[in-house]
Amino acid sequence: MAYLELQNVSKGYGPPSNRYEVLENANLSIEKNEFVAVIGFSGSGKSTLMSLLAGLEQPDSGKVMLDGEEVTQPGPRLGIMFQNYSLLPWLSVVGNLEIAVKQVFPEMKRKERADYIQHYIDMVTLTNSEYKKPAELSGGMRQRLSLARTLAMKPDVLLLDEPLSALDAITRSVLQDEIIRIWEEDRRTVVMITNDVDEAALMADRIVPLTPGPAATLARSYPVELERPRDRTTLNFNPEFKALRNEVSGFLMEMNEDAKSLKFDADLTLPDLEPKDFRTHYTTVG
Amino acid sequence: MLKNLKTVLLKIIDLTALGFLEPYVRLCYGEEPKKQFKLIAQFSLVPIMALVLFVAVWAYLAPKHKTKSGSVPTPGQTLSAWNSIMNQHSQENMKQKAYNLTGDERLEVVAAAEARQAELVPLVEEANAGVIEAREVEAADKAERIAPLQAELDTIRDATKEEKTKRLDDIKARAEAMAEGDAAGRKQLKEDYLALDVWEEEQKDAQGDLRSSISLIQNEKSPEVTAALLLQKQRNDEKQYIDKLIEVAGEDSREVSLAETEAELKELEVAYAGAAGADVYKTLRKIVREQGSLVKTQDREYAKPWTLPMQIFRSILCVFAGFLVGVAIAVPIGVCCGLSRTFMAAMTPFIALFKPVSPIVWLLIFMIVVGGFFPDPDKSVVLEFLTDFTNAITGWLPFVGDMVNDFDINIAFIASALTVSMCSLWATMVNTALGVASVDKDHINVAKVLKLGFFSRLFKIVLPSALPLVFAGMRISLGVGWMVLIAAELLASSEGLGKFTWDQFNNGATDSFAKIVCMVFVVGTIGLFLDRIMIIFQRLVSFEGSVAAI
Repeated sequence: MAYLELQNVSKGYGPPSNRYEVLENANLSIEKNEFVAVIGFSGSGKSTLMSLLAGLEQPDSGKVMLDGEEVTQPGPRLGIMFQNYSLLPWLSVVGNLEIAVKQVFPEMKRKERADYIQHYIDMVTLTNSEYKKPAELSGGMRQRLSLARTLAMKPDVLLLDEPLSALDAITRSVLQDEIIRIWEEDRRTVVMITNDVDEAALMADRIVPLTPGPAATLARSYPVELERPRDRTTLNFNPEFKALRNEVSGFLMEMNEDAKSLKFDADLTLPDLEPKDFRTHYTTVG
Repeated sequence: MLKNLKTVLLKIIDLTALGFLEPYVRLCYGEEPKKQFKLIAQFSLVPIMALVLFVAVWAYLAPKHKTKSGSVPTPGQTLSAWNSIMNQHSQENMKQKAYNLTGDERLEVVAAAEARQAELVPLVEEANAGVIEAREVEAADKAERIAPLQAELDTIRDATKEEKTKRLDDIKARAEAMAEGDAAGRKQLKEDYLALDVWEEEQKDAQGDLRSSISLIQNEKSPEVTAALLLQKQRNDEKQYIDKLIEVAGEDSREVSLAETEAELKELEVAYAGAAGADVYKTLRKIVREQGSLVKTQDREYAKPWTLPMQIFRSILCVFAGFLVGVAIAVPIGVCCGLSRTFMAAMTPFIALFKPVSPIVWLLIFMIVVGGFFPDPDKSVVLEFLTDFTNAITGWLPFVGDMVNDFDINIAFIASALTVSMCSLWATMVNTALGVASVDKDHINVAKVLKLGFFSRLFKIVLPSALPLVFAGMRISLGVGWMVLIAAELLASSEGLGKFTWDQFNNGATDSFAKIVCMVFVVGTIGLFLDRIMIIFQRLVSFEGSVAAI
């Protein structure tokens, strides 16, 4: 049995008269220690999917199962890293980590906790920024802090909601490597949402495209069988990588075209009308 | 090292919202001098020029408006009124010091005061004579200016009288000689009689104008007389002070009083030893009484009246007492309102109903209600405790403790403080509710993921997130409270700036009006400082993305 599972999950918003179905009959099975990338267009319900997985929202129908139990509320087992960092701006780097660590591991002694926090700060290379406030950190540093906070909770499942979307290309690649390194160091189940096929192919074991909304659902998945560690510099010349990228991109494009064709966009030909000339009328009167 | 100082200075400037100082610091480090000069001109020079302009307009306009209390005080008069206020304060401090002095020091003070007293006698006489002289000059000048007007008035009055008698006689004669059936004659007579009335009224008006011109001149106060009166007042005040100082440092001083009582006690002891019969009991009673008064004299302090700096401290104490009570009520209620929409709905009518009520109404209510708790204020344990508690705390403060040794918490003080609370708590309450209700959804999600309990969530997420808004509300509250306090003290006769102002309004001395104008600046300056303090607090609890302090 799969470790984390979506079973026929549907979720919509709004009153019954004007309902917007975001997800419809989404199914997903994730094995333990698997790294799954969910990929989709913007507005296709990726963040809703993530909130459902994290237990922040409940599906209208269907179930979210974790290790055989239904997820009914959020908790530290499902460590979500939010798209917009969600750091507490009045706390320092240490403070942001401490609030999580204190809550998840209340039994830790002060000294032990300090070492534990320092370990995670070092892991995301925020050393020497311990007492800075989030406002004093760069975008990449904030994102790393957010990642460190999520990791420090030692969640069973790591849910990354577009963790790298707001970053420049260089910081992005650095953090990609870092996430992979952390994941390899201390294997856990990871679900990462992204809109970048290359990124998904570089990092994940399996890519699951999300069909464009409304009423999005999870399509067939594409396993990534590239050898680890994957090297981004040589990957571009790897035929297997190229084939996979083309396949997923092609699928997404097709889905997008299907979605577009579903919309009403037929050309309406305007009737060929010519304005009547009244001038002759005026001249006869005048 | 110097670079560090710059960063620290800039940080302090930013924290205290004193942005206009920034270009000076940067200029000292030679950073873009041109830009800094422009900023200095914009944010320092322009406000200074505006102030200078204001003072100039004030100095020009003030003497133009005459009132019952003299003309509106000019900046100069206001400044000298301020000096006189501070002078009174230092004199009272001197008296207090003199009362406690002992030995040669005390005698020196007495000697110095007596020397000044001797000097003052002719000066006071001179000032008195100066007033008489100035009044005589003024009277002569007025008489000279009034004389032609009076003469004109007399002439007009006499002429009118004569003319009236003449015309009336004519009418009477014509009436007597009126023939029967002469309708035209009768009509003419009636018209003439009415015309006479109208004419007489006109003449009276003309006289009235003259009379009011005369009385205007009579009521004028020449600048010479005003100056002479001011000098006379100053010298008399100083004489009064010196006389009082001699008393306080001399026969009324603690040392002398103690010596006297001790001498008497000694005498009584001798008498007691030698007394017989009924006298034994009598002397014993006297001795006991005398011993009691000895203890009292030892403890007695100089009964110092409230001076302005003392009243400033008391007002600040009162506003903070009221403000803190207000915050203690507003923040918990605000938090509940922010947390629960139902509770908010329950509170809304009260907020809407009580917020616009005038401080004066609250003051009257609190005066009565608080009075009910202390039917016998002189013997109330609670009031005594509050007084001792306040004195103990203020005694720790460096400057305040020396100046005021008894804050005397009374009903008027409590009522004023509660009025401040009642009027100022709304801003804090509403802001707290808003802050708590509008916590970032992401932060709430963090709390959910961490499974924080209710209190953890409240104290670790909700309150820190709401703090900037809470402090913004508290800043408004303190501003409102300070404004309300002056009115409350004025009406409640609670010692403080309000009472000082009211006393000035009532005492009608030459410089009372100027002293009231001084209060505008005193109250304004303190209000400014209170606001700065709150800005600093607000900035300290603010974070990126929270409401910015202005």
